[in-house]
Order: sequence, then C-alpha cells, then structure tokens
Amino acid sequence: MGVIGRAHGVRGHVRVLSYTAEPTDLDEYNPLQDDRGRSFSLQWVGDGVAQITCHEAGADRVVSDRSGAEALVNTRLYVERDRLPPPDEDEFYLADLVGLQAISLDGSQLGQVTAVHDYGAGASLEIGVLLVPFTRAAVPEVDVAAGRLVVNPPAEIVVNASAGQAGGAP
Amino acid sequence: MTRSSWKGPFVDGYLLAKAEAARQSGRNEVIKIWSRRSTILPQFIGLVFGVYNGKKFLPVQVSENMVGHKFGEFSPTRTFTGHSSDKKAKRG
Repeated sequence: MGVIGRAHGVRGHVRVLSYTAEPTDLDEYNPLQDDRGRSFSLQWVGDGVAQITCHEAGADRVVSDRSGAEALVNTRLYVERDRLPPPDEDEFYLADLVGLQAISLDGSQLGQVTAVHDYGAGASLEIGVLLVPFTRAAVPEVDVAAGRLVVNPPAEIVVNASAGQAGGAP
Repeated sequence: MTRSSWKGPFVDGYLLAKAEAARQSGRNEVIKIWSRRSTILPQFIGLVFGVYNGKKFLPVQVSENMVGHKFGEFSPTRTFTGHSSDKKAKRG
C-alpha cells in the first residue's frame, strides 16, 4: 500500500509514499502490516508526512523522536486483501485481475494475465504477447473466484489501401 | 505556439477511413494505428484504437473527454507498471 520514506524533522515524523488510488486514503486502512508482521497506524500531519504509531504486544507506541523514525525508513506497508472494500459492479481490483487464467470463447487456453495497464484511456490486460482492451466485448466474462476470464480477442480492422491518405488535415 | 485555428485539427487521413470501417462493421475490433500525432476527433468516440508505442499497440478506448488530445498521449513509450495497491479497473 505504501512505503515509509526518510525521517522528517525531530518529532518522529516520516515521509510516506502512498500507492493507493487516492494517496491520502492510506490512513483509512490502519492498522497496516510490514513484511515482518509488525503492525503500524499512521496519521497524516502534513503533505506526505505522517506520524507513525507502532502496535507492539498489545501496547501502542507513538514514534516521537527522529532516531525512532529513522529505524522505520524503507518499511513497506501492506494490508490483507479481505480488508479492501468490495468493488462496485463491473469493477475489479487490479491485484485480483493479475494472475487470472485467460481462456478463449472456444475454451482454449490463452495464458495468464501478467499485467493490467491503465494510461487514462481505459484498462487493458496483458496476456502473454496479447494486449486486450478491458471491455465487455473483448472480455465478456470475469470470474475472480474461479480464477479465470473469458477473452474474445478483437480482430484487426483492414481497409482498402486507396481509402484515405496519410498526412494532412481532414 | 498553438496551431492556427483556420487549419483545423490535424488527423492523418487513413485514420478516418479506418474509423469509418470500424463503425460500419459494428464488430469487436481494434484499429491499429501508428499515427500518434493525430488529434482525437468526436467521430472516434466509442472506438478502440491500438496505438503503437514503438513496441506494442496499446488499446485506447476513446471517450468524450479525450477529444482534442493526441493519440500518443495515451500510449506511453516508457514502461512504468506502478503498484496495484487498491486501484480498480472498470470494464468499458
């Protein structure tokens, strides 16, 4: 979900790099875990700067000095998948789509979804060498629970070479 | 400097023919194009273009608020996959 960056000031504040869709939403997922199983809560105190509270053996300890903050540098923050709110209809978490098995309409295996791209013009799925737009026409069925999706790879438009000409304004 | 308004938006001519063919076919098709410099016109709304980024044809679903931008803006030439985190994708 994010990573703790360098210490900020002498009051135990740290810079936090948030990977959430809306960066300031990271504190809504408190408590967060690191890869060693430790538990943290963060509270934003400025733009990209947070105060960290460590939850250790039933006691909460607010990191209030710079050396404590420096000990947390480069800590990666995670949250369990089941704590994410359920997505809307026809909406899917990118993390859920990656790894799904893609099968074609006739039932043949196409491979695994290796990445989901979204550059502002709709999402697209990378399935091996295939890039498929994430539309109802190209991906008519998505079954996250069963770990598969049905793909109808779009055909390529072919036009007569004489139609239209390269260059120039319309 | 902005482009003179009397010229109108620049579009490579072959795109118009391909877009027209795609619209008439009504099938699930991607229009592969190399013209990253072309402006997105209102008649392209709803179509899916595969815009070449030097390596692959990235699918670009044209929507209303993309009109006036260039195709190349939606097909980056450098790879950055980012982190999935809590990000969601809506099926278009």
